[in-house]
Amino acid sequence: MRVDCTDLERIFRDGDAQAWLALERHAEACPACAQEIRAWKALSVAAEELRDYREDPALWSQIERRLIQQREQGIPRPTLWERLSFWPGISLGWQTALPSALVLLLTVAGGYVYRHRNVGDEAAGNQLLKSSTLAEVERTEREYMKAIDKLAMDAKPQLDSPASPLMVSYREKLMVIDGAISELRTEAGQNPSNAHLRYQLLAMYQEKQQTLEEVLETKNDR
Amino acid sequence: MGSVGFTLPWEHRISPVAREGESRVEPSELEAGQNRADGVNPEDAALAAGCLAGNLSAFERLYASQGARMKNLARNLLGTQSEAEDAVQETFLKVQRSIATYRGQSSFVTWVFRILVNTCHDLRRSRMRRKEQSHDEPEEGSRQPEPRAPGAHPSLRMALERALAELTRHQRDVFLLYEVEGFRHREIAGMLEISETASKNSLFQAKKNLRGMLEPPRSHVAGGRP
Repeated sequence: MRVDCTDLERIFRDGDAQAWLALERHAEACPACAQEIRAWKALSVAAEELRDYREDPALWSQIERRLIQQREQGIPRPTLWERLSFWPGISLGWQTALPSALVLLLTVAGGYVYRHRNVGDEAAGNQLLKSSTLAEVERTEREYMKAIDKLAMDAKPQLDSPASPLMVSYREKLMVIDGAISELRTEAGQNPSNAHLRYQLLAMYQEKQQTLEEVLETKNDR
Repeated sequence: MGSVGFTLPWEHRISPVAREGESRVEPSELEAGQNRADGVNPEDAALAAGCLAGNLSAFERLYASQGARMKNLARNLLGTQSEAEDAVQETFLKVQRSIATYRGQSSFVTWVFRILVNTCHDLRRSRMRRKEQSHDEPEEGSRQPEPRAPGAHPSLRMALERALAELTRHQRDVFLLYEVEGFRHREIAGMLEISETASKNSLFQAKKNLRGMLEPPRSHVAGGRP
């Protein structure tokens, strides 16, 4: 493999072993590239200054005590967020938004079950009712989305030009939530009667609403 | 992105002994063993099984093998010893709570670090929120440096820490996970929920930005060639 000075950045970015060897060979005859490579590698060596692997037995004793305590109190079931593999480390603060979302979900689920029980034996009637319940869920969802979109419009100026690291963090979080909503909506579109997907979707909307409210609160605090 | 005011020719301050380690670093994927958390590891599966069974000795083994590394990463992400300890402890509690949801889609250690990184970001976010609410607290940059293991170049370490604080979150995460903790791009991609290419790009940008901040002004930089 032959490389020249123009390959430097590409190899720094994503060079395989062979490309690196070729670059090293080229650098033997090119002082400028040799200097670039040395500076690039020096950063990796400098990073070792940030490595401090001293053992800390006291911390383990503390952790062990807390683990035993948690086990004795009965390990709480993982929250919805901890169960969602795409977002296992969400803070307790965000999880507090869940109870209200769950109330909403239970109401929808209760309504669905209630309507379903009153359906007659006729298959056609059954189908019709299912469809109407679904339509109702979708209509409510649309209304909810409209309300959240209004909030999003209010928060847009703060998010577009974040004035603080916290606002940047909110913007990133909202992007993750929007990604999750988009995925869930696609799945819900393919399987519209899957109540579980609807619940997850509603929880995500709730999370987005909460986040946008916090953005607006931060704005008002200023 | 501003300079951190460290204008010494820093790369010349790295001792020749340290420089001998250069070949370990680039290209990154050449060496499979040293300090790399490998996904195909029987010990990893045994640890996961032990933790799933609620075996405290499995958690202890996890701490013995990864605790120092976890604390180091948390300290570099959060800046203080006490917050790093809180993050590691919280991560172990979350692992105990959530182990049933671990499906082996990544190595167990990668999964644990993913929780740690998220926990650190949550702590960081709540710290920022607290700081925004009470304007009396000192700025992050004015924190007193905490005692750490004596390094070969303490001033270089401090300059690096300050420069890292100027990077974007992804760039900082990838740099620390790759260059300091020795994870592979594949593992980092799993932890940060990004693609391997994005991980490589973030590392490249991080190093390019760090060079810009740590080096004295130069007539040419990497990538600026014809």
